Amino acid sequence: MRYTAAQLRVLSLLALTVLVGLGVREWRAGFPDAADRLEGFDREESPQPLLPEPHAPPPAPVPAAHPGSPPAAGPPATAPPPAPGPVLPVELLDVNRADATQLARLPGVGPGLAQRIVEERERRGRFDSPEALRYVLGMGPKKLAAIRRFITVSD
Amino acid sequence: MIERRLETAPLLPPAAAFTAGIAAGAWLPFPAPGLLAAAAAALLIAALASHRHPRAALVLVLAGVALLGALRVAGPRLPADHLARRALDGTLSIEGRLGEEPVRWTADRTRLLLDVAAVHVGPERRPAVGRVQLTIYGELALPLGETQRVLVDARLHRPVGFRNPGGFDYAAHLRREGTLLVGHARADRITALTPDAPPWPVAVKRWAVGVIAARLPPTSAPLLAGLLLGERSALPREIDESFRRAGVYHILAVSGFNVALLAGAVFGGLAMCGVPRRGAAGAAAGALVGFALVVGGQPSVLRATVMGLLLLAAVLLDRESQLPNALALAGLALLLWRPGDLWEAGFQLSFAATAGIVYLGPNITAWLIAHRAPAWLAAAVAVSLGAQAAVTPLMLTHFNQLSLIGVVANLLVVPLAAVATTLGMLALLVELASGVLATLLFHTLWLVLIALRAVVAVAAALPAAMVHLPAPSAATVVAWYGALLLAPGMTASRRIRAVVGALAVLVAGLSIWPWLRPTETMLRVTFLDVGQGDAALIELPEGPRLLVDGGPGGARRFDVGERVLAPFLWNRPLARLDAVALTHWDTDHSGGLAAVLTRFHVGEFWESGHPPGGAPETAAALVRSRAPRRVLAAGQRLWLGRALITVLGPGPGPPQAPNDQSLVLRLDWRGVSLLLAGDLGARGEALLLERAGPVRALALKVAHHGSRFSSTAPFLERARPRLAVISVGARNPFRHPSAEALARLEAAGARVYRTDRDGAVILETDGRVLRVTAWARGVTETWALDPEETSEKTSENSTAPGLTGGGGGRAGSGRRSRSRRRARSGRAAAPALRDRDACRGRAPSRPGWS
Repeated sequence: MRYTAAQLRVLSLLALTVLVGLGVREWRAGFPDAADRLEGFDREESPQPLLPEPHAPPPAPVPAAHPGSPPAAGPPATAPPPAPGPVLPVELLDVNRADATQLARLPGVGPGLAQRIVEERERRGRFDSPEALRYVLGMGPKKLAAIRRFITVSD
Repeated sequence: MIERRLETAPLLPPAAAFTAGIAAGAWLPFPAPGLLAAAAAALLIAALASHRHPRAALVLVLAGVALLGALRVAGPRLPADHLARRALDGTLSIEGRLGEEPVRWTADRTRLLLDVAAVHVGPERRPAVGRVQLTIYGELALPLGETQRVLVDARLHRPVGFRNPGGFDYAAHLRREGTLLVGHARADRITALTPDAPPWPVAVKRWAVGVIAARLPPTSAPLLAGLLLGERSALPREIDESFRRAGVYHILAVSGFNVALLAGAVFGGLAMCGVPRRGAAGAAAGALVGFALVVGGQPSVLRATVMGLLLLAAVLLDRESQLPNALALAGLALLLWRPGDLWEAGFQLSFAATAGIVYLGPNITAWLIAHRAPAWLAAAVAVSLGAQAAVTPLMLTHFNQLSLIGVVANLLVVPLAAVATTLGMLALLVELASGVLATLLFHTLWLVLIALRAVVAVAAALPAAMVHLPAPSAATVVAWYGALLLAPGMTASRRIRAVVGALAVLVAGLSIWPWLRPTETMLRVTFLDVGQGDAALIELPEGPRLLVDGGPGGARRFDVGERVLAPFLWNRPLARLDAVALTHWDTDHSGGLAAVLTRFHVGEFWESGHPPGGAPETAAALVRSRAPRRVLAAGQRLWLGRALITVLGPGPGPPQAPNDQSLVLRLDWRGVSLLLAGDLGARGEALLLERAGPVRALALKVAHHGSRFSSTAPFLERARPRLAVISVGARNPFRHPSAEALARLEAAGARVYRTDRDGAVILETDGRVLRVTAWARGVTETWALDPEETSEKTSENSTAPGLTGGGGGRAGSGRRSRSRRRARSGRAAAPALRDRDACRGRAPSRPGWS
């Protein structure tokens, strides 16, 4: 039986494909790191949570560029422009990291509610914002308002 | 020339007439019986007159077909047991069949399409009909699949999109697909009534996706699934974006490309093995139908399948095939089945691209060959160029996207994609016989996919690979397609050449016009409907634009920045924001800014100095954008054009909760004042009042979406806003806005606008007149800002209604009379609007802002 030229071409292409596949398999087995890098070459790294940067440009002085009297209802002249750098970190409890014992120390949060917060966090992955705590059974608006100044939400 | 083309495509006129009928029917709601009678009369007369007056008969037939098109969309009344007729408060127990495979957005968020069969009320089962789209929160415990029967306890409501000028009408889109209700439910409230036993096409698709995922690494697998099956839900965002930028996104949708490859492979393979022509064509037709069933019913698939079957039928019948006719038949069939698809981007793009290739392709090829291009290159460029020319207005209308690199990128990408698709189909076939051999094929395939991704990445990385432009006006679109329609005749006639040239100039002029439009004289503030969150764009007549907050967004949820803010800004049109202010870092304010910072040039970024939290994507985008950052604090003042921005918060002192550290901005322009209160809470308001800044304002962006812990009485007493805008999402879990806050606003005499009811709220003013538009309701109210009355009483500094009604919308009149009454009684009322006119006097010397 004789093959036509077209059939021969297709068959040799198939054989070549399989051979290339063999080669790629060997290479990927031999250099898994390089293969992984190649596979992910156009992927962005997942965004890293940024540390609060020291804000480089100091707040522009109040544009006192318009001379003359300040507007009648202008801001208080007494308050000198504060120097707002990065806000001083106080001891805020990170509800995305804290365990049940730590959470239970928040005002109005008992061990049961703390446990439910942890469970809800595990179910959701994380809380996007302090408001998301409202999804926890027993976390009403009053309670949330009470603990808001003590908590923070990280990633 | 056009006449000759029509002769070979007898179905084109009726298809066009039917389409026109559908379009007209959607605009003008004709009564169905009248339409039926008119269509019958037209067709009857045509039949009677066909012998004597063939031309008149033809016109009548086409009119009849158009009337049938209008009849097709003349809405049938909802059946009595339709779910949409029920009262929808509370939780409903609904039973139904899954209309599609569940779509998993994230691990704990899934979308189900439910064809409702019954509603359970207590022990009773009442039959019902309707189609419901459900969002399921939580991990699904049981596997769900198409056609499965389930019982769900869900809360239902009518769909509401984001109602902004030029925005995508989500509710209309769902209605066209037959979905009148949406809802949500918890994963543990779903009961499966039958096991997950999908029909064979679904099973085949699942198997194929599973094999691909098992044989290929995690990024390449979804790419191949997209190429072969159009299944691109697992494709990483940045890859998806690269394909869009490179203008080659069409290869990720199943279309004529896949169908041609499949039919070609089956037909060619069988023919090579000695199967007779007709047998091979029959087998290829069978393969096409099976393929269409497996990949599902998107318009592009159906169009390609219908056309492919017609071409194969031409082979079977030994006839010459006519592409335009096949296209017309496909359009007619699809619109008969699903007339609403006419308005869908997928349908329009698929048909426009094919029509462009069929109509323009041969002429472009001939022209290129005449200019000594090699034949293969000429054909490839012609396809790419023809399709691009036809879809450009549509891409701009729907997505504001114009890929400049597309025509070139396609020359490389399409062949690579063809190799990958063919090899992928082969590998899946081999997988049935031998896993080992299939693995080797997948290894080769991986290499091809990497090459494909590399080409796309390079094309997408070029600067200006894609530009974003405002949606073209109707006149521009008509002129563009008119020019395309006449273009093939250009070589023959000088007059046509002149007309096409004139049309081209017209298109160019109309496209440039929005950018050159003389600057407006009004200050415009748009509080966008971004669901539960804040976003407001302030546009000054002198040019500067300030965006305050960006609504919710981020990788894990619906990205308002990408889907709502960016299109709105592109349609403005606007490419640069002079400043973006972020009041605080909660995700409902900062999430959407990631897209804004990535896609627009941001002159400055204003923030409160509170450390980033909650929105890592935005923080990363901010660093990448290299926008200068400015930390604002109470007491600072800045000029934005001729508007004075006064920073009222955050103040000095010990750190407060993030909300109370919100940036609070006040804007004064020609005596109009606006207070943007961020998410300030009661504590923050008290501190702000202690600092004794200028709080009184004409309009107030109500703090914290109308939470009852904000907008306290003392604060409102001092602010005394005439207008209050609450930026809030419908049915949000926090029950914002609260009745208490609304009552306090009412007591303070403020007229309240809410984005959950009013859609985008737009304030426009020239300093004398204030117009307030509630976009979703289509109501504009006009108020006169009365300078005389104000200036008289400025000295007292405590009176003077800023507003007296100037007529306007239906809701305005009651308010107006009250406002007058207050003015007369002299007690209370609005801020002394004119007492800050000093600002205006000084402003002109400072055109920019510091």
